[in-house]
Amino acid sequence: MDLAAQIRSGLQSQGLPSPSISWIQSAMPNRSPLPPLPALIATVKTRFLAADLTSPTLFDSPLLAFPSNASNPEVKEVKLTWDIPVQVLDIENLSKSKWEQVEELEAIARGEQTRGREIIRLPTSNEEDEFSLDGQATQTANNGVERSGSRGASVASANIANAATKTSTHRLVLQDCKGQKLYGLELKRIDKISIASLNIGEKIMLKKGAILARGTVLLDTTTCAILGGKVEAWHKDWVEGRLVRLREAVGADSRNAA
Amino acid sequence: MIRLFHRPRHASEARRALSRFASTMRVLCVAEKPSIAKAVASHLSGGEVQTHNTPEKYIKNYVFDYDFGRPWGKCQVTMTSVLGHITSAEFPPEYKKWEYPPPDRLFDAPVNVVVAADKKKVAENIEKQARHANALCIWTDCDREGEHIGYEICEAAKKGNRTLEIKRAKFSNIERAHIINASKNLINLDPKQVNAVASRIELDLRIGYAFTRFLTTNLRSLGGPFQNLLLSYGSCQFPTLGFVVDRYFRVRNFKPEPFWAIKVMHKREGIDVHFSWARHRLFDRAAVIVLYERCLAAKKAKVTKVQEKPTKKWKPLPLTTVELQKMATIFLHMTGQQAMEAAEALYNKGFISYPRTETDRFDPGMNLRALVQKQTQSHAWGTFAQNLVDGGFQQPRQGRNDDKAHPPIHPVTFAAPSVLNEQEKKIYEFVVRRFLACCSEDAKGVATDVDIIYGEESFYAHGVVVLERNYLEVYVYDKWTGSVQLPKFTVGETFEPTEALMTEGKTAPPNYLTEADLIALMDANGIGTDATMAEHIQKIQERDYVRTVPRTSRPDEADDVEGGRGRGDRGGRGGRRGRGAATNARGGVMDFIPTQLGVALIEGFDRMNFETSLGKPFLRKEMELKMKAICEGRTTKEVVLDESIQQYRHVYMQSQQKLSVLKAVGVLFWP
Repeated sequence: MDLAAQIRSGLQSQGLPSPSISWIQSAMPNRSPLPPLPALIATVKTRFLAADLTSPTLFDSPLLAFPSNASNPEVKEVKLTWDIPVQVLDIENLSKSKWEQVEELEAIARGEQTRGREIIRLPTSNEEDEFSLDGQATQTANNGVERSGSRGASVASANIANAATKTSTHRLVLQDCKGQKLYGLELKRIDKISIASLNIGEKIMLKKGAILARGTVLLDTTTCAILGGKVEAWHKDWVEGRLVRLREAVGADSRNAA
Repeated sequence: MIRLFHRPRHASEARRALSRFASTMRVLCVAEKPSIAKAVASHLSGGEVQTHNTPEKYIKNYVFDYDFGRPWGKCQVTMTSVLGHITSAEFPPEYKKWEYPPPDRLFDAPVNVVVAADKKKVAENIEKQARHANALCIWTDCDREGEHIGYEICEAAKKGNRTLEIKRAKFSNIERAHIINASKNLINLDPKQVNAVASRIELDLRIGYAFTRFLTTNLRSLGGPFQNLLLSYGSCQFPTLGFVVDRYFRVRNFKPEPFWAIKVMHKREGIDVHFSWARHRLFDRAAVIVLYERCLAAKKAKVTKVQEKPTKKWKPLPLTTVELQKMATIFLHMTGQQAMEAAEALYNKGFISYPRTETDRFDPGMNLRALVQKQTQSHAWGTFAQNLVDGGFQQPRQGRNDDKAHPPIHPVTFAAPSVLNEQEKKIYEFVVRRFLACCSEDAKGVATDVDIIYGEESFYAHGVVVLERNYLEVYVYDKWTGSVQLPKFTVGETFEPTEALMTEGKTAPPNYLTEADLIALMDANGIGTDATMAEHIQKIQERDYVRTVPRTSRPDEADDVEGGRGRGDRGGRGGRRGRGAATNARGGVMDFIPTQLGVALIEGFDRMNFETSLGKPFLRKEMELKMKAICEGRTTKEVVLDESIQQYRHVYMQSQQKLSVLKAVGVLFWP
């Protein structure tokens, strides 16, 4: 078996879809001697996860796409009969109003963050982590969980604003290798899906048996395997354009963005 | 020794003087205000007291004998008082003119501490009395401000007599036994607290004057409505105003959005059981339709959890100043300022403990049962108190704050309603009810939770039945109404819900700030101390930066910034030109809304000083933390003055560079 084929079966064994041999060859590092096989597989995997799935040379087999009538809203329920790799083009937290998200993003842009009633200047060291509890309900915006301690404080704070809770419901825009787009809706909470942690361009494998209802893929942990990855340029554009998109969506002009 | 040269006029007086010389010390006691001097004098003297007038008409000197115990023993005491601060900090005359020198010179101009013009007679009385004394005992209120006033008294006394031995009494209410106890356990003045206050006074002076002159002279030059304005700046008032403006814009800019949800109702045993959706609501109709359709398709719901467990509503924590003010604005239809004035009066009359405290835990050594006992004679809550005395008493919950100076606010003795005015009555009743609630038991009930799964969606129902009201009987401000008891459900059973509906709603803007909200924000962000918050809130109203309007009559969207005219008063310290307007006649909720002037000032600073806007709480909070650090010995007055002045000077320089921005905003918001 030649090297590209070995890499392909290596990827397959990790649950990834199989790229074409020619694409694998193009993704192999251009140096000699080549590194050992496990390192090669890792390199090609990283490139695959960072690639655009719709690039025509990526796959040989057309079988990996959504069925042609998948987006038909008339169809009440149908199950996928094969695994389909997709990439994330957009993510929305349907549990939060857009305006709430606008206010949070604008506060962060001003260098502020609220913790309970306290206004905090960013970046800041989160030494006293106490909410001002006095029985009165605070805004639901603050029940996020802080994730990484290692990253910079402002990143961590942005994550607080974007973090999801146990009952959050997200909707994704998913694209297959043919460029067809479908909504994906969290039927059951999937921890990896949150605005703070899911990347644009991230790859997901929709498993055989996943439900398509009224043109929306219903996501749960058994039918939705998150493979990782990111398309750097898309992700950057998405993050940078998010505030403007949210403001436009609720019909706010950009004049008093301050 | 001085007395040797003091010629007695009568033989009897001579004898007395001689006998004193042999054995008795003379002690000068000075309280912060006349009411405390009178009360302490009457407790210590046991009623045998001579009262002398002084040149200051509000102040009396009380002369009596008292045994302090060791080391002073039996002494002849003169008890008098001051009227708050004696001294004030001011700039030398050459800095009095607004045109020159430029305001930023005030950051390093000399500051003189002088006896305030209206306190000359007060200081002279202290100085004169000190001449005849061997020792000075300070009886000012036990907080930072009181400590500094104590220092001012020492300075005034030393002018008359440099050899005084100086002590301080530590007390938190003027109940007799407490006062006697304080007199036998004298301590020293705390120079750290004195320094913290001295720093605060100097910083307020420099920063306040510099920015007031900067704002006023520059904005006046715009002419028109600005021409005769006096724009007073205070480092607490601006962040306070900032909160009001911030919320105002959050309300004004708000964009409503529709949301959808699924509600399930099931009728059983004649009860309509309403199940709420675990997802609460989603901001997308199509997504909810998909999920709703799948519920309907499933037809039957299945019970996944049934839990019945005892539940409690916790009794309140012991009362702090901030909490008192918040509750007074919410339940007693008073402003924070009015509440503090009434509480102060009650303290001065000896009915409640010192009302400025951050402590929300009682010292375990305090005899709370005895205090409860004193309330048994009340017609209103006497029975409840009696029940506590008869065995219902429970130790109060312990909060996490202890300022180490005062206990939580509590009633010291019973006050008959007839001796109190309307405002005092309300505050006293609240303090007592709160205290009795603290000494009572949590309210108890049974909570039932039923979870179901309907299709793939989860729903839950929650029911509470109140079994024992306990503290709620006396604490009428808390409500706990049990919902209807849920009928019987069994885990694993399935049923077809009577009704499943998809509902639609719309988000609503937040409310404008109320005084209680504002106090909570100031507290959380370190603006002012619990003792001064109400004053700052009052000031921004007096200066016409904000106004209060009844919530029901919210003005129209288009023009709800009220046109304001600065009235140019600087409202001196403690000046209470009470508008008293934060609650209206019918006692409705009052919203705080900025005037156009208020908006212009905050917007101006926000746009000039992106990083350190004076409309934000950060700089002031830092300053408050530094005061605390001085008190705890972690830094010194000199360091703090240096740092803080530099910070504010930096903001000043930045503001001067971006003056055009401020002027533009001024014209924009108030053309």
